[in-house]
Amino acid sequence: MTTETLDRENTMQDDAQDVQTDAQGTDGQRTHAIDISTLKRAGAIKNIAEEETALEVKDLKLYYGEKAALHGVNMVIPKKRVTAFIGPSGCGKSTLLRCFNRMNDLVDGCRIEGEILLENKDIYQRNVEVAELRRKVGMVFQKPNPFPKSIYENVAYGLRIQGINKKRVLDETVEWSLRSAALWDEVKDRLNDSALGLSGGQQQRLVIARTVAVKPEVLLLDEPASALDPLSTLKIEELIHQLKDDFTIVIVTHNMQQAARVSDYTAFMYMGNLIEFGNTDELFTNPQKKQTEDYITGRYG
Amino acid sequence: MSITTKESHTQHISQQFNQDLTELRNHILTMGGTVVKQLTDAVEALLEGDTQLAEDVRIKEEQVDEMERAIDEECTQIIALRQPAASDLRLVISTIKMVADLERIGDEASKIARLAIDLAEEGKSPRGYIEVRHISNHVVKMMNDALDTFARFDVDKALSIIKEDREVDAEYRSAIRSLMTFMMEDPRSISQVHNVMWVLRSLERVGDHTANLAEHTIYMVRGMDVRHMSMHDAEQALNS
Repeated sequence: MTTETLDRENTMQDDAQDVQTDAQGTDGQRTHAIDISTLKRAGAIKNIAEEETALEVKDLKLYYGEKAALHGVNMVIPKKRVTAFIGPSGCGKSTLLRCFNRMNDLVDGCRIEGEILLENKDIYQRNVEVAELRRKVGMVFQKPNPFPKSIYENVAYGLRIQGINKKRVLDETVEWSLRSAALWDEVKDRLNDSALGLSGGQQQRLVIARTVAVKPEVLLLDEPASALDPLSTLKIEELIHQLKDDFTIVIVTHNMQQAARVSDYTAFMYMGNLIEFGNTDELFTNPQKKQTEDYITGRYG
Repeated sequence: MSITTKESHTQHISQQFNQDLTELRNHILTMGGTVVKQLTDAVEALLEGDTQLAEDVRIKEEQVDEMERAIDEECTQIIALRQPAASDLRLVISTIKMVADLERIGDEASKIARLAIDLAEEGKSPRGYIEVRHISNHVVKMMNDALDTFARFDVDKALSIIKEDREVDAEYRSAIRSLMTFMMEDPRSISQVHNVMWVLRSLERVGDHTANLAEHTIYMVRGMDVRHMSMHDAEQALNS
Protein backbone atom coordinates (compact mmCIF):
# COMPACT_ATOMS: atom_id res chain seq x y z
CA MET A 1 0.00 0.00 0.00
CA THR A 2 1.76 3.18 1.04
CA THR A 3 5.35 3.35 2.13
CA GLU A 4 4.08 3.84 5.67
CA THR A 5 1.95 0.75 5.71
CA LEU A 6 4.86 -1.12 4.27
CA ASP A 7 7.04 0.18 7.08
CA ARG A 8 4.44 -0.87 9.56
CA GLU A 9 4.30 -4.33 8.07
CA ASN A 10 8.03 -4.61 8.21
CA THR A 11 8.14 -3.63 11.87
CA MET A 12 5.44 -6.17 12.58
CA GLN A 13 7.43 -8.85 10.87
CA ASP A 14 10.49 -7.82 12.84
CA ASP A 15 8.47 -8.09 16.02
CA ALA A 16 7.27 -11.51 15.06
CA GLN A 17 10.84 -12.58 14.48
CA ASP A 18 11.91 -11.13 17.81
CA VAL A 19 9.22 -13.10 19.53
CA GLN A 20 10.44 -16.22 17.83
CA THR A 21 14.01 -15.67 18.93
CA ASP A 22 12.74 -14.98 22.43
CA ALA A 23 10.82 -18.20 22.40
CA GLN A 24 13.94 -20.05 21.35
CA GLY A 25 15.75 -18.45 24.24
CA THR A 26 18.61 -17.19 22.08
CA ASP A 27 17.89 -13.60 23.03
CA GLY A 28 16.99 -13.41 26.67
CA GLN A 29 17.58 -9.67 26.95
CA ARG A 30 14.64 -8.40 25.01
CA THR A 31 11.14 -8.96 26.23
CA HIS A 32 7.96 -8.02 24.46
CA ALA A 33 4.76 -6.92 26.04
CA ILE A 34 2.74 -8.90 23.54
CA ASP A 35 3.66 -12.31 22.30
CA ILE A 36 2.34 -12.31 18.77
CA SER A 37 2.43 -16.07 18.41
CA THR A 38 -0.02 -16.49 21.30
CA LEU A 39 -2.20 -13.77 19.85
CA LYS A 40 -2.43 -15.76 16.68
CA ARG A 41 -3.19 -18.91 18.57
CA ALA A 42 -5.99 -17.23 20.49
CA GLY A 43 -7.58 -16.10 17.28
CA ALA A 44 -6.90 -19.35 15.48
CA ILE A 45 -9.88 -21.07 14.05
CA LYS A 46 -10.60 -24.27 15.86
CA ASN A 47 -11.16 -26.99 13.38
CA ILE A 48 -13.75 -29.55 14.23
CA ALA A 49 -12.25 -31.98 11.74
CA GLU A 50 -9.13 -32.19 13.87
CA GLU A 51 -10.92 -32.95 17.12
CA GLU A 52 -11.32 -36.37 18.69
CA THR A 53 -14.86 -37.66 18.57
CA ALA A 54 -16.95 -38.23 21.69
CA LEU A 55 -20.35 -38.79 20.13
CA GLU A 56 -21.34 -39.24 16.54
CA VAL A 57 -24.89 -38.70 15.38
CA LYS A 58 -25.82 -40.38 12.11
CA ASP A 59 -28.99 -39.46 10.26
CA LEU A 60 -31.00 -39.29 13.47
CA LYS A 61 -34.75 -39.03 13.00
CA LEU A 62 -37.14 -38.80 15.90
CA TYR A 63 -40.92 -38.89 15.88
CA TYR A 64 -43.33 -38.09 18.67
CA GLY A 65 -46.25 -40.17 17.36
CA GLU A 66 -46.81 -39.02 13.79
CA LYS A 67 -44.97 -35.78 14.21
CA ALA A 68 -41.29 -35.65 13.29
CA ALA A 69 -39.22 -33.69 15.81
CA LEU A 70 -35.80 -34.34 14.25
CA HIS A 71 -35.41 -34.71 10.48
CA GLY A 72 -32.15 -36.57 10.05
CA VAL A 73 -29.45 -34.91 12.11
CA ASN A 74 -25.78 -35.62 11.37
CA MET A 75 -23.09 -34.28 13.63
CA VAL A 76 -19.94 -35.06 15.56
CA ILE A 77 -19.60 -33.93 19.17
CA PRO A 78 -15.88 -33.37 19.86
CA LYS A 79 -14.21 -34.86 22.93
CA LYS A 80 -13.36 -32.69 25.95
CA ARG A 81 -14.88 -29.64 24.37
CA VAL A 82 -18.01 -27.69 25.13
CA THR A 83 -20.66 -27.92 22.45
CA ALA A 84 -23.69 -25.66 22.71
CA PHE A 85 -27.08 -26.19 21.06
CA ILE A 86 -29.02 -23.05 20.38
CA GLY A 87 -32.28 -22.40 18.59
CA PRO A 88 -35.82 -21.19 19.19
CA SER A 89 -38.27 -23.15 21.36
CA GLY A 90 -39.41 -26.36 19.73
CA CYS A 91 -36.45 -26.58 17.37
CA GLY A 92 -35.45 -29.98 18.72
CA LYS A 93 -32.32 -29.07 20.64
CA SER A 94 -33.49 -30.53 23.97
CA THR A 95 -34.90 -33.54 22.16
CA LEU A 96 -31.53 -34.15 20.55
CA LEU A 97 -29.74 -33.72 23.87
CA ARG A 98 -32.07 -36.22 25.52
CA CYS A 99 -31.31 -38.76 22.80
CA PHE A 100 -27.70 -38.87 24.00
CA ASN A 101 -28.64 -40.76 27.15
CA ARG A 102 -31.91 -42.22 25.93
CA MET A 103 -34.17 -40.05 28.05
CA ASN A 104 -36.69 -40.18 25.22
CA ASP A 105 -37.17 -43.91 25.84
CA LEU A 106 -39.57 -42.91 28.59
CA VAL A 107 -41.76 -40.82 26.30
CA ASP A 108 -44.84 -42.61 24.95
CA GLY A 109 -45.03 -42.86 21.18
CA CYS A 110 -41.47 -41.72 20.67
CA ARG A 111 -39.73 -43.48 17.78
CA ILE A 112 -36.11 -43.11 16.80
CA GLU A 113 -34.28 -43.92 13.55
CA GLY A 114 -30.59 -43.56 12.86
CA GLU A 115 -27.60 -44.05 15.10
CA ILE A 116 -25.76 -42.35 17.92
CA LEU A 117 -22.28 -43.72 18.39
CA LEU A 118 -20.53 -43.53 21.74
CA GLU A 119 -17.08 -45.10 21.56
CA ASN A 120 -18.06 -46.41 18.13
CA LYS A 121 -21.02 -48.31 19.55
CA ASP A 122 -24.61 -47.45 18.75
CA ILE A 123 -26.30 -46.57 22.03
CA TYR A 124 -29.67 -47.62 20.62
CA GLN A 125 -28.67 -51.24 20.10
CA ARG A 126 -30.75 -53.78 22.00
CA ASN A 127 -27.94 -55.05 24.17
CA VAL A 128 -27.07 -51.66 25.59
CA GLU A 129 -27.60 -51.36 29.32
CA VAL A 130 -29.41 -48.05 29.75
CA ALA A 131 -28.33 -47.57 33.36
CA GLU A 132 -24.71 -48.06 32.33
CA LEU A 133 -25.17 -45.67 29.41
CA ARG A 134 -26.52 -43.03 31.77
CA ARG A 135 -23.51 -43.46 34.02
CA LYS A 136 -21.32 -42.68 31.04
CA VAL A 137 -23.56 -39.88 29.83
CA GLY A 138 -24.71 -37.83 32.80
CA MET A 139 -27.37 -35.16 32.68
CA VAL A 140 -28.21 -31.98 34.59
CA PHE A 141 -31.60 -30.31 34.19
CA GLN A 142 -32.92 -26.81 34.24
CA LYS A 143 -34.31 -27.06 37.76
CA PRO A 144 -31.91 -28.36 40.38
CA ASN A 145 -33.18 -31.72 41.60
CA PRO A 146 -31.19 -32.78 44.66
CA PHE A 147 -32.45 -35.81 46.56
CA PRO A 148 -34.00 -35.14 49.96
CA LYS A 149 -30.85 -36.42 51.63
CA SER A 150 -27.69 -34.93 53.05
CA ILE A 151 -25.20 -33.15 50.83
CA TYR A 152 -22.76 -36.03 51.30
CA GLU A 153 -25.30 -38.71 50.42
CA ASN A 154 -26.41 -36.83 47.33
CA VAL A 155 -22.92 -36.96 45.90
CA ALA A 156 -22.21 -40.50 47.11
CA TYR A 157 -25.49 -41.80 45.73
CA GLY A 158 -24.21 -42.93 42.35
CA LEU A 159 -21.31 -44.79 43.91
CA ARG A 160 -23.51 -46.54 46.46
CA ILE A 161 -25.72 -47.75 43.62
CA GLN A 162 -22.64 -49.24 42.02
CA GLY A 163 -22.07 -51.07 45.30
CA ILE A 164 -19.16 -48.97 46.49
CA ASN A 165 -19.46 -48.53 50.26
CA LYS A 166 -15.87 -48.10 51.42
CA LYS A 167 -15.85 -44.95 53.48
CA ARG A 168 -12.41 -43.88 52.32
CA VAL A 169 -13.35 -44.15 48.63
CA LEU A 170 -16.64 -42.38 49.21
CA ASP A 171 -15.01 -39.57 51.19
CA GLU A 172 -12.42 -39.01 48.52
CA THR A 173 -14.92 -39.04 45.69
CA VAL A 174 -17.30 -36.71 47.50
CA GLU A 175 -14.54 -34.21 48.13
CA TRP A 176 -13.19 -34.46 44.58
CA SER A 177 -16.65 -34.08 43.09
CA LEU A 178 -17.59 -31.13 45.27
CA ARG A 179 -14.28 -29.49 44.45
CA SER A 180 -14.85 -30.12 40.74
CA ALA A 181 -18.22 -28.47 41.07
CA ALA A 182 -16.65 -25.50 42.90
CA LEU A 183 -18.86 -26.15 45.90
CA TRP A 184 -16.47 -27.73 48.41
CA ASP A 185 -15.46 -24.57 50.24
CA GLU A 186 -19.06 -23.56 50.74
CA VAL A 187 -20.31 -26.88 52.13
CA LYS A 188 -17.31 -28.69 53.63
CA ASP A 189 -18.43 -27.91 57.19
CA ARG A 190 -21.99 -29.08 56.72
CA LEU A 191 -21.80 -32.17 54.58
CA ASN A 192 -24.45 -33.88 56.68
CA ASP A 193 -27.00 -31.08 56.37
CA SER A 194 -29.93 -31.57 54.05
CA ALA A 195 -29.21 -30.67 50.43
CA LEU A 196 -32.57 -28.94 50.29
CA GLY A 197 -31.23 -26.20 52.56
CA LEU A 198 -28.80 -25.01 49.89
CA SER A 199 -29.53 -22.05 47.65
CA GLY A 200 -30.67 -22.67 44.08
CA GLY A 201 -27.22 -21.99 42.63
CA GLN A 202 -25.60 -24.27 45.20
CA GLN A 203 -28.17 -26.98 44.56
CA GLN A 204 -27.40 -26.84 40.86
CA ARG A 205 -23.68 -27.19 41.52
CA LEU A 206 -24.46 -30.05 43.92
CA VAL A 207 -26.36 -31.81 41.15
CA ILE A 208 -23.35 -31.31 38.88
CA ALA A 209 -21.12 -32.77 41.63
CA ARG A 210 -23.47 -35.74 41.88
CA THR A 211 -23.22 -36.24 38.13
CA VAL A 212 -19.44 -36.01 37.90
CA ALA A 213 -19.00 -38.31 40.95
CA VAL A 214 -19.55 -41.36 38.77
CA LYS A 215 -16.94 -40.06 36.29
CA PRO A 216 -19.10 -39.90 33.18
CA GLU A 217 -17.56 -39.31 29.78
CA VAL A 218 -20.17 -36.90 28.59
CA LEU A 219 -22.04 -34.29 30.60
CA LEU A 220 -25.36 -33.11 29.22
CA LEU A 221 -26.57 -29.78 30.56
CA ASP A 222 -30.13 -28.80 29.73
CA GLU A 223 -30.52 -25.09 30.47
CA PRO A 224 -28.40 -25.48 33.62
CA ALA A 225 -28.42 -21.82 34.56
CA SER A 226 -31.75 -20.50 33.39
CA ALA A 227 -33.34 -20.71 36.84
CA LEU A 228 -30.39 -19.03 38.55
CA ASP A 229 -29.44 -15.46 39.35
CA PRO A 230 -26.64 -13.79 37.34
CA LEU A 231 -23.89 -14.52 39.88
CA SER A 232 -24.77 -18.19 40.24
CA THR A 233 -24.98 -18.31 36.45
CA LEU A 234 -21.43 -17.00 36.20
CA LYS A 235 -20.27 -19.61 38.71
CA ILE A 236 -21.86 -22.36 36.62
CA GLU A 237 -20.23 -20.96 33.49
CA GLU A 238 -16.85 -20.83 35.20
CA LEU A 239 -17.44 -24.39 36.32
CA ILE A 240 -18.19 -25.53 32.78
CA HIS A 241 -14.92 -23.99 31.71
CA GLN A 242 -13.04 -26.04 34.32
CA LEU A 243 -14.96 -29.25 33.73
CA LYS A 244 -14.10 -29.42 30.05
CA ASP A 245 -10.59 -30.53 30.96
CA ASP A 246 -12.08 -33.82 32.12
CA PHE A 247 -15.41 -34.18 30.36
CA THR A 248 -17.13 -33.71 27.06
CA ILE A 249 -19.89 -31.20 27.69
CA VAL A 250 -23.02 -30.61 25.67
CA ILE A 251 -25.15 -27.69 26.76
CA VAL A 252 -28.55 -26.50 25.66
CA THR A 253 -29.22 -22.87 26.40
CA HIS A 254 -31.63 -20.12 25.44
CA ASN A 255 -29.10 -17.54 26.49
CA MET A 256 -27.06 -16.92 23.37
CA GLN A 257 -24.43 -14.85 25.10
CA GLN A 258 -23.97 -17.78 27.44
CA ALA A 259 -23.51 -20.16 24.54
CA ALA A 260 -21.01 -17.74 23.05
CA ARG A 261 -19.11 -17.46 26.31
CA VAL A 262 -18.89 -21.08 27.40
CA SER A 263 -18.77 -23.15 24.25
CA ASP A 264 -16.08 -24.10 21.76
CA TYR A 265 -18.54 -25.23 19.14
CA THR A 266 -22.10 -24.17 18.57
CA ALA A 267 -24.91 -25.90 16.73
CA PHE A 268 -27.87 -23.87 15.58
CA MET A 269 -31.07 -25.86 15.16
CA TYR A 270 -34.33 -24.83 13.61
CA MET A 271 -37.53 -26.82 13.11
CA GLY A 272 -35.87 -30.15 13.78
CA ASN A 273 -32.93 -29.56 11.46
CA LEU A 274 -29.32 -28.82 12.20
CA ILE A 275 -28.84 -25.59 10.27
CA GLU A 276 -25.29 -24.67 11.09
CA PHE A 277 -22.63 -26.27 13.25
CA GLY A 278 -19.18 -24.86 13.77
CA ASN A 279 -16.65 -22.97 15.74
CA THR A 280 -18.41 -20.68 18.22
CA ASP A 281 -16.26 -17.62 17.48
CA GLU A 282 -17.05 -17.91 13.80
CA LEU A 283 -20.72 -18.63 14.27
CA PHE A 284 -21.31 -15.57 16.40
CA THR A 285 -19.28 -13.10 14.34
CA ASN A 286 -19.79 -14.37 10.83
CA PRO A 287 -22.44 -17.06 10.47
CA GLN A 288 -22.70 -18.67 7.06
CA LYS A 289 -26.44 -19.24 6.98
CA LYS A 290 -29.05 -16.54 6.93
CA GLN A 291 -31.30 -18.37 9.39
CA THR A 292 -28.47 -18.45 11.94
CA GLU A 293 -27.76 -14.77 11.38
CA ASP A 294 -31.41 -13.86 11.87
CA TYR A 295 -31.67 -15.88 15.05
CA ILE A 296 -28.53 -14.68 16.81
CA THR A 297 -29.11 -11.06 15.92
CA GLY A 298 -32.73 -11.18 17.01
CA ARG A 299 -34.47 -10.70 13.69
CA TYR A 300 -37.60 -12.30 12.45
CA GLY A 301 -36.50 -14.66 9.74
CA MET B 1 -20.93 -15.81 -0.03
CA SER B 2 -22.59 -12.64 1.13
CA ILE B 3 -25.51 -12.71 3.48
CA THR B 4 -25.31 -9.19 4.83
CA THR B 5 -27.37 -6.74 2.85
CA LYS B 6 -28.45 -3.18 3.28
CA GLU B 7 -31.77 -4.36 4.67
CA SER B 8 -30.23 -6.61 7.27
CA HIS B 9 -29.88 -3.85 9.80
CA THR B 10 -33.60 -3.49 10.02
CA GLN B 11 -36.06 -6.27 10.75
CA HIS B 12 -35.03 -6.78 14.35
CA ILE B 13 -37.73 -7.91 16.70
CA SER B 14 -36.71 -4.95 18.84
CA GLN B 15 -37.80 -1.79 17.00
CA GLN B 16 -35.62 0.32 19.26
CA PHE B 17 -32.56 -1.66 18.22
CA ASN B 18 -33.47 -1.18 14.55
CA GLN B 19 -33.71 2.51 15.14
CA ASP B 20 -30.39 2.66 17.00
CA LEU B 21 -28.54 0.93 14.18
CA THR B 22 -30.21 2.99 11.47
CA GLU B 23 -29.30 6.17 13.32
CA LEU B 24 -25.74 4.98 13.75
CA ARG B 25 -25.41 4.45 10.01
CA ASN B 26 -26.94 7.83 9.28
CA HIS B 27 -24.64 9.55 11.72
CA ILE B 28 -21.49 8.11 10.21
CA LEU B 29 -22.68 9.11 6.73
CA THR B 30 -23.36 12.62 8.01
CA MET B 31 -19.91 12.77 9.55
CA GLY B 32 -18.45 11.51 6.29
CA GLY B 33 -20.30 14.21 4.37
CA THR B 34 -18.99 16.89 6.72
CA VAL B 35 -15.42 15.65 6.33
CA VAL B 36 -15.68 15.57 2.52
CA LYS B 37 -16.93 19.17 2.59
CA GLN B 38 -14.06 20.10 4.89
CA LEU B 39 -11.56 18.60 2.46
CA THR B 40 -13.00 20.19 -0.69
CA ASP B 41 -13.20 23.56 1.09
CA ALA B 42 -9.60 23.29 2.28
CA VAL B 43 -8.35 22.57 -1.24
CA GLU B 44 -10.56 25.32 -2.63
CA ALA B 45 -9.17 27.77 -0.05
CA LEU B 46 -5.65 26.79 -1.06
CA LEU B 47 -6.19 27.13 -4.79
CA GLU B 48 -8.10 30.39 -4.52
CA GLY B 49 -6.03 31.86 -1.69
CA ASP B 50 -9.23 32.29 0.32
CA THR B 51 -8.13 32.63 3.97
CA GLN B 52 -11.67 33.09 5.27
CA LEU B 53 -12.72 29.72 3.82
CA ALA B 54 -9.58 28.18 5.32
CA GLU B 55 -10.55 29.52 8.74
CA ASP B 56 -14.02 28.00 8.32
CA VAL B 57 -12.45 24.61 7.67
CA ARG B 58 -10.48 24.86 10.87
CA ILE B 59 -13.60 25.76 12.84
CA LYS B 60 -15.46 22.80 11.35
CA GLU B 61 -12.75 20.58 12.81
CA GLU B 62 -14.33 20.99 16.25
CA GLN B 63 -17.65 19.85 14.86
CA VAL B 64 -16.02 16.72 13.44
CA ASP B 65 -14.31 15.97 16.75
CA GLU B 66 -17.65 16.29 18.51
CA MET B 67 -19.22 13.87 16.02
CA GLU B 68 -16.42 11.40 16.66
CA ARG B 69 -17.09 11.46 20.37
CA ALA B 70 -20.86 11.18 19.91
CA ILE B 71 -20.68 8.23 17.50
CA ASP B 72 -18.20 6.39 19.69
CA GLU B 73 -20.54 6.90 22.61
CA GLU B 74 -23.43 5.52 20.57
CA CYS B 75 -21.38 2.42 19.75
CA THR B 76 -20.49 1.92 23.41
CA GLN B 77 -24.16 2.15 24.32
CA ILE B 78 -25.18 -0.37 21.70
CA ILE B 79 -22.53 -2.85 22.80
CA ALA B 80 -23.44 -2.44 26.47
CA LEU B 81 -27.20 -2.62 26.05
CA ARG B 82 -27.73 -4.88 23.04
CA GLN B 83 -24.74 -7.22 22.95
CA PRO B 84 -24.85 -7.17 19.15
CA ALA B 85 -23.84 -10.33 17.29
CA ALA B 86 -22.80 -11.23 13.76
CA SER B 87 -23.51 -8.51 11.17
CA ASP B 88 -24.77 -6.10 13.84
CA LEU B 89 -21.56 -6.53 15.77
CA ARG B 90 -19.53 -6.02 12.61
CA LEU B 91 -21.46 -2.84 11.83
CA VAL B 92 -20.66 -1.43 15.27
CA ILE B 93 -17.00 -2.47 15.18
CA SER B 94 -16.41 -1.12 11.68
CA THR B 95 -18.20 2.09 12.64
CA ILE B 96 -15.83 2.63 15.55
CA LYS B 97 -12.88 2.22 13.21
CA MET B 98 -14.34 4.30 10.40
CA VAL B 99 -15.01 7.16 12.77
CA ALA B 100 -11.33 7.21 13.69
CA ASP B 101 -10.29 7.29 10.04
CA LEU B 102 -12.81 10.02 9.23
CA GLU B 103 -11.53 12.11 12.10
CA ARG B 104 -7.99 11.73 10.80
CA ILE B 105 -9.12 12.83 7.34
CA GLY B 106 -10.64 15.87 9.05
CA ASP B 107 -7.25 16.54 10.65
CA GLU B 108 -5.55 16.41 7.27
CA ALA B 109 -8.11 18.83 5.84
CA SER B 110 -7.41 21.12 8.74
CA LYS B 111 -3.67 20.91 8.03
CA ILE B 112 -4.29 21.79 4.38
CA ALA B 113 -6.33 24.80 5.52
CA ARG B 114 -3.45 25.90 7.77
CA LEU B 115 -1.05 25.62 4.80
CA ALA B 116 -3.53 27.55 2.64
CA ILE B 117 -3.36 30.41 5.13
CA ASP B 118 0.47 30.30 5.17
CA LEU B 119 0.65 30.28 1.39
CA ALA B 120 -1.83 33.13 1.08
CA GLU B 121 0.28 35.17 3.47
CA GLU B 122 3.74 34.50 2.04
CA GLY B 123 2.73 34.39 -1.61
CA LYS B 124 1.67 31.58 -3.88
CA SER B 125 3.93 28.74 -4.84
CA PRO B 126 5.06 28.95 -8.48
CA ARG B 127 4.35 25.24 -8.98
CA GLY B 128 2.30 22.32 -7.72
CA TYR B 129 -1.27 23.59 -7.94
CA ILE B 130 -2.13 21.40 -10.90
CA GLU B 131 -0.97 18.36 -8.99
CA VAL B 132 -2.94 19.43 -5.89
CA ARG B 133 -6.10 19.86 -7.95
CA HIS B 134 -5.61 16.58 -9.71
CA ILE B 135 -4.87 14.47 -6.63
CA SER B 136 -7.54 16.17 -4.53
CA ASN B 137 -10.16 15.47 -7.20
CA HIS B 138 -9.07 11.88 -7.11
CA VAL B 139 -9.22 11.42 -3.33
CA VAL B 140 -12.49 13.32 -2.99
CA LYS B 141 -14.04 11.00 -5.55
CA MET B 142 -12.63 8.05 -3.61
CA MET B 143 -14.11 9.37 -0.38
CA ASN B 144 -17.54 9.85 -1.88
CA ASP B 145 -17.31 6.35 -3.29
CA ALA B 146 -16.24 4.97 0.08
CA LEU B 147 -19.25 6.50 1.81
CA ASP B 148 -21.46 5.23 -0.96
CA THR B 149 -19.94 1.79 -0.60
CA PHE B 150 -20.67 1.83 3.12
CA ALA B 151 -24.26 2.88 2.51
CA ARG B 152 -24.81 0.25 -0.17
CA PHE B 153 -22.75 -2.63 1.23
CA ASP B 154 -20.90 -2.79 -2.08
CA VAL B 155 -17.84 -5.02 -1.68
CA ASP B 156 -16.71 -4.83 -5.32
CA LYS B 157 -16.59 -1.06 -5.23
CA ALA B 158 -14.74 -1.17 -1.92
CA LEU B 159 -12.05 -3.28 -3.56
CA SER B 160 -11.75 -0.82 -6.43
CA ILE B 161 -11.24 2.01 -3.92
CA ILE B 162 -8.35 0.13 -2.34
CA LYS B 163 -6.88 -0.25 -5.82
CA GLU B 164 -7.33 3.45 -6.53
CA ASP B 165 -5.37 4.32 -3.42
CA ARG B 166 -2.33 2.77 -5.08
CA GLU B 167 -2.84 5.04 -8.08
CA VAL B 168 -2.97 8.02 -5.75
CA ASP B 169 0.28 6.89 -4.15
CA ALA B 170 1.91 6.73 -7.58
CA GLU B 171 0.59 10.16 -8.51
CA TYR B 172 1.87 11.53 -5.22
CA ARG B 173 5.36 10.13 -5.80
CA SER B 174 5.63 11.54 -9.29
CA ALA B 175 4.34 14.95 -8.15
CA ILE B 176 6.92 15.05 -5.35
CA ARG B 177 9.66 14.11 -7.79
CA SER B 178 8.80 16.89 -10.20
CA LEU B 179 8.53 19.46 -7.38
CA MET B 180 11.93 18.39 -6.05
CA THR B 181 13.43 18.96 -9.46
CA PHE B 182 11.81 22.36 -9.59
CA MET B 183 13.18 23.32 -6.19
CA MET B 184 16.68 22.43 -7.34
CA GLU B 185 16.29 24.67 -10.34
CA ASP B 186 14.77 27.54 -8.38
CA PRO B 187 15.92 27.53 -4.72
CA ARG B 188 14.17 30.86 -3.97
CA SER B 189 10.80 29.11 -4.11
CA ILE B 190 11.72 26.32 -1.71
CA SER B 191 9.60 27.59 1.17
CA GLN B 192 6.38 27.86 -0.87
CA VAL B 193 6.91 24.68 -2.87
CA HIS B 194 7.66 22.88 0.33
CA ASN B 195 4.28 23.91 1.71
CA VAL B 196 2.59 22.55 -1.38
CA MET B 197 4.46 19.30 -0.87
CA TRP B 198 2.97 19.09 2.62
CA VAL B 199 -0.46 19.56 1.08
CA LEU B 200 0.19 16.70 -1.33
CA ARG B 201 1.40 14.59 1.54
CA SER B 202 -1.87 15.26 3.42
CA LEU B 203 -3.91 14.34 0.35
CA GLU B 204 -1.96 11.13 0.00
CA ARG B 205 -2.74 10.32 3.66
CA VAL B 206 -6.42 11.01 3.01
CA GLY B 207 -6.20 8.38 0.26
CA ASP B 208 -4.80 5.88 2.78
CA HIS B 209 -7.55 6.58 5.30
CA THR B 210 -10.13 6.26 2.55
CA ALA B 211 -8.74 2.87 1.62
CA ASN B 212 -9.12 1.96 5.31
CA LEU B 213 -12.78 3.01 5.15
CA ALA B 214 -13.23 0.60 2.26
CA GLU B 215 -11.49 -2.18 4.19
CA HIS B 216 -13.81 -1.65 7.17
CA THR B 217 -16.79 -1.83 4.84
CA ILE B 218 -15.57 -5.15 3.48
CA TYR B 219 -15.24 -6.41 7.04
CA MET B 220 -18.73 -5.23 7.86
CA VAL B 221 -20.32 -6.88 4.85
CA ARG B 222 -18.33 -10.07 4.55
CA GLY B 223 -16.71 -10.55 7.94
CA MET B 224 -13.35 -10.73 6.26
CA ASP B 225 -10.28 -8.82 7.37
CA VAL B 226 -8.43 -7.74 4.22
CA ARG B 227 -6.04 -5.35 5.92
CA HIS B 228 -2.38 -5.87 5.06
CA MET B 229 -3.28 -8.29 2.32
CA SER B 230 -2.02 -8.00 -1.20
CA MET B 231 -4.65 -7.01 -3.71
CA HIS B 232 -4.43 -10.43 -5.29
CA ASP B 233 -4.94 -12.26 -1.98
CA ALA B 234 -7.81 -9.99 -0.99
CA GLU B 235 -9.60 -10.57 -4.28
CA GLN B 236 -9.12 -14.30 -4.00
CA ALA B 237 -10.32 -14.40 -0.40
CA LEU B 238 -13.44 -12.44 -1.30
CA ASN B 239 -14.27 -14.54 -4.31
CA SER B 240 -13.75 -17.88 -2.62
